[in-house]
Amino acid sequence: MSDITSDITSDIRMNADSPTVAVLRLAQPPLGRFMPGVFFGVISALSSVGLLATSAWLITRAAEHPPILFLGAAIVGVRAFALLRGSARYVERLSSHDAAFRQLSALRVGIYRRLVPLAPDGLRGSARGAGRGDLLARLVNDVDELQNMPLRVVQPLLVTVVTAVLSVVGVSIVLPSAGVALAVALLLAFGAATLVQSAIAGRAERSIAPLRGALADQLLDYVSNIDVLVAFDALAGRIARVEAADHRLRVATLARAGGAGATSAILAALATLASAAALLVGVSALGHGLEGPALTVIALIPLAVFEVVASAPLALGAFRQVYASARRVADATPTNISREIPTEPAAPRSGPAPQPSPAPQTGPRAESVPVLQLTDVGACWPGESGTAFSGLNLSLRRGDRVVVEGVSGSGKTTLAHVLVRFLDYTGSYRIGGVESRQLSGDSVRDIVGLCEQSPYLFDEDIRQNLLFAHDSATDEQLVAVLARVGLADWMRERGGLSARVGDGGALVSGGQAQRLALARALLANFPVIVFDEPTANVDPELATQLMRDILTVAGDDTGDDQRTVIVISHTPIPADLVSHRVRLETPDWTFPEGPAIHTHTGDDR
Amino acid sequence: MRPLDPRLLRYAAAARTFFGVGVLLGIVKTIATVAFCLVLSQAIVGAIAGRSFTELLPDIMTLAGVGILRAATIWVMDVASARGASVVKSQLRRRLVTGLARLGPGWLNGRNRVDLVTTAGAGLDALDGYFSLFLPQLILTAIATPLVIVVIFLEDVTSGILVVIALPLIPIFMILIGLATRAVQRRQWLVLAQLSSRFLDVVGGLATLKIFGRQHRQAARIESLTESYRIETMKVLRISFLSGFTLELIGSLSVALVAVSVGLRLIDGSLGLAVGLFVLLLAPEAFLPLRQVGANFHAAADGIAAAEDIFEILDAAQAVTREAEALGGRATSLIRSELRFTEVSVRHEGRVAVDRFSAVIRPGRLTVLAGPSGSGKSSLVAALLGFVPFDGTIEIGGAAAVDDRRSRTAWAGQEAPLLEGTIASNVALGALQPDVTLVRRALALAALGSLDPELPVSVTGSGLSGGQAARVVAARAIYRGIDRFCPVLVFDEPSAALDSRAEAQLLRGLRRLADEGHTVLVVSHRPAIIAAADENIELGVALRV
Repeated sequence: MSDITSDITSDIRMNADSPTVAVLRLAQPPLGRFMPGVFFGVISALSSVGLLATSAWLITRAAEHPPILFLGAAIVGVRAFALLRGSARYVERLSSHDAAFRQLSALRVGIYRRLVPLAPDGLRGSARGAGRGDLLARLVNDVDELQNMPLRVVQPLLVTVVTAVLSVVGVSIVLPSAGVALAVALLLAFGAATLVQSAIAGRAERSIAPLRGALADQLLDYVSNIDVLVAFDALAGRIARVEAADHRLRVATLARAGGAGATSAILAALATLASAAALLVGVSALGHGLEGPALTVIALIPLAVFEVVASAPLALGAFRQVYASARRVADATPTNISREIPTEPAAPRSGPAPQPSPAPQTGPRAESVPVLQLTDVGACWPGESGTAFSGLNLSLRRGDRVVVEGVSGSGKTTLAHVLVRFLDYTGSYRIGGVESRQLSGDSVRDIVGLCEQSPYLFDEDIRQNLLFAHDSATDEQLVAVLARVGLADWMRERGGLSARVGDGGALVSGGQAQRLALARALLANFPVIVFDEPTANVDPELATQLMRDILTVAGDDTGDDQRTVIVISHTPIPADLVSHRVRLETPDWTFPEGPAIHTHTGDDR
Repeated sequence: MRPLDPRLLRYAAAARTFFGVGVLLGIVKTIATVAFCLVLSQAIVGAIAGRSFTELLPDIMTLAGVGILRAATIWVMDVASARGASVVKSQLRRRLVTGLARLGPGWLNGRNRVDLVTTAGAGLDALDGYFSLFLPQLILTAIATPLVIVVIFLEDVTSGILVVIALPLIPIFMILIGLATRAVQRRQWLVLAQLSSRFLDVVGGLATLKIFGRQHRQAARIESLTESYRIETMKVLRISFLSGFTLELIGSLSVALVAVSVGLRLIDGSLGLAVGLFVLLLAPEAFLPLRQVGANFHAAADGIAAAEDIFEILDAAQAVTREAEALGGRATSLIRSELRFTEVSVRHEGRVAVDRFSAVIRPGRLTVLAGPSGSGKSSLVAALLGFVPFDGTIEIGGAAAVDDRRSRTAWAGQEAPLLEGTIASNVALGALQPDVTLVRRALALAALGSLDPELPVSVTGSGLSGGQAARVVAARAIYRGIDRFCPVLVFDEPSAALDSRAEAQLLRGLRRLADEGHTVLVVSHRPAIIAAADENIELGVALRV
């Protein structure tokens, strides 16, 4: 028995609540939507058996030259089964596919909902560890593969079992010993199919999905770096690596094919043997209560039944694949969130949930409560030993403009993620006087916004990339905010708001992406904005201007509603623009580049 | 859809082999099937005629033997299909990968690379179904169906006529339904591809969505996209299942007609039971391959649609005529060479990115190319490397051919993508035999002397900080420059992600390379680099046309 088989059995028997089973359940449509497909499937399969049985009976009986009236019912039966088989099958397929596709919505959304609390730092394989190509292979292929659970696993197995049992019962009524022979052949078929599947195919299959992911990684690596490979005469070497990954996948696939082929061959052989066995016992019983027509029927029924049963090994094979996919999906989206990732606070037993007070206040009290107050704050990344930074103290009031300085690797991005509650912290981090641990992530991010170091641009047009920050904004507002961040000319040049930004912002330079991110943050009107290295890829004359824009954003808004701005940067910022400077250091800081390098192979799953 | 695209045979030689083996196995399997039906019907007739158990035993043994032979052919056919599919996929991928190399980085710009990887990876896996479920049945349709019909005719002309009347209905319906399916089929594949990148887009941008509190809204969006996916797919399935339905219906109705007609003629004694049973068992075999073709039509269509996407790229690659990879003689010493741009203009997406740029960049000097965003700095570098077409000439030491320029240039790009492997394998990229000492020296010159060259790097460089990755990229260019004696070293924004300390260290390394006789060109806007340069070239914004 292979590992996966014992995992499957232990999961199903002992641990019905395992994460993998939970994912599989997401894929299974509710009974009401699922059963019609099974019902019509059984009707179709039984019609198939019935067509052969009634035809055989009709012909053999006719050879006995009875009056034609005696055959009327059989003739009607033959025609009815012939019509019913195709029609029931058509209805079955439509109904089961529709049910599976309807479930795909729930499935994708269910997986997405599991991803939401994890993103970005707790999502396995997202930022560090496994490659992006593997993430792609996992979430697109595996989630779609799960659809096969109802379609290619549960449905055919149910139809097969019901048809096989009914056929055995039918044959047993005619001649019990033939029924026993058929039942034995069917059980042998099931046993052999299962054994062959796990012995030959199981081993190969466990390696197929990782190999597929590895190939996708190699392809992505190759496609993404083709310019570098051309410039360094390194194409041949990389092509060889893609081919090597392809070769490994091919070898594993071929091993599995041997298993699938062997199974269908065993079934075909058993069908023949069941037929021969029925003949053997039938010949002895002939004349002792068994008529000629009945002998023909019991000799031919096994052929029709095995035709139906042929889908069972495919279903078992499909289940192995679906199960492996479900397990990878469950692994990638753990429900036990690692402790570095913040969890939403439990709803308080009584009284309203605590609310921070970012709204403008008047009087001396407004001055007394800092917008953000960090006391002895430290944090670390999930799965990493050692803290990224610790012992940070910071108190910010409305309208403050703070620069957090530190060399590469001193935990600047970690701090940014703590401020928007992507990462948990030690110590105290208060927003408007309320400890942020007691707030939901969303209400923290209503107040504190972040412009990421590499802003994510969606493969959409410029308008859509802005609108999601403030969905009721008019085109005029969008154009105005683009002008504010210095992108008005660029936008016009690209052909207006409807111009696409390309896959992952491929058609946008680093500086432009940063400006788009700033535009989004302005549209969302966060009371506090955190900028993580905003000027890393911007020209010097524009960079100074951009930094000036960022730091004077608060001043652009009149009245009490002054914004607080935190800029995290390693480049110097003119003194007149800032009200505070904070230096970030790590206590156990050994190597100038900070975080350890994560290996691909180290991601053990 | 074309059930068999001739390009499949052209681009994948393994597909031709598969056809040869398939035809051979098809013939063996058909003979075994006919023999099985014959022996079975005769055994039954013998039993009914009152032959004893011992008389019948040899017949029943033969029956089992023929059945096992047929089972063996099924097994060999399955293995051949899987082997065929795997090898064809490999061959197509191989051609795609080399085809992309031929099309070059310019062609890839602006294309969705994730889509491309999906097409070449999971997309091609749709060919599995095409090979295992569809093609063998297509071959059997061409072999088994005519053979079985001939046998039926020899046995019983009336049944033969019934089958022959029913059979032509199948291709007629196939064509009609096939035509109706075609358009929707293509659309479904597009929706699927779009949806797959959309799902990834949402996951990739989840952090950004969370920042703006939009993560909840995306669930509804995924739901509506999947719902439209279901509606699109069901439209296709309703039609493609219809063809399967028609095939099954024609098949079973013909069997019913044969059974009833045989039965009626048995009553009046014009036909023997042996012939009647034999024909009854054979009749479904005439329709079975066609029924399978119909049932697996949509699986095949997915495979063909995926393959067509590949074929389009391969066709485009074939259209690119490129002079053979002239590796030329490798330099054995550093020849000080100047880099000369003469009246170079580059157009990018219909606008002029660089307008008649001329400059001479001298060996032994550290030259900085500066200018605002959009002034065409990166376009000039791309032109130098032959990634974009341009007007004018670019020469290195007097040689203007693209291969000469490439072999004399070592380049560190701005995007800083690293490849899976180790730091050392990245630094020594393209070298046949990586030189560990030189790797260390290149890293030291790139201000990364303390980094362990044996550290693994995962795909697309994740695992390194941005500043580290940029310096590994610089070290890569330095390694090549020294190892291959490339006179020209180009660094595109090497210090964008560096703090001032690391930048100063890198600058010392670049100075050292210039002192050794290299022509060092740095594209940068950083004041520290501009201040340290021997020469400064300021690019203005080109005239817009």
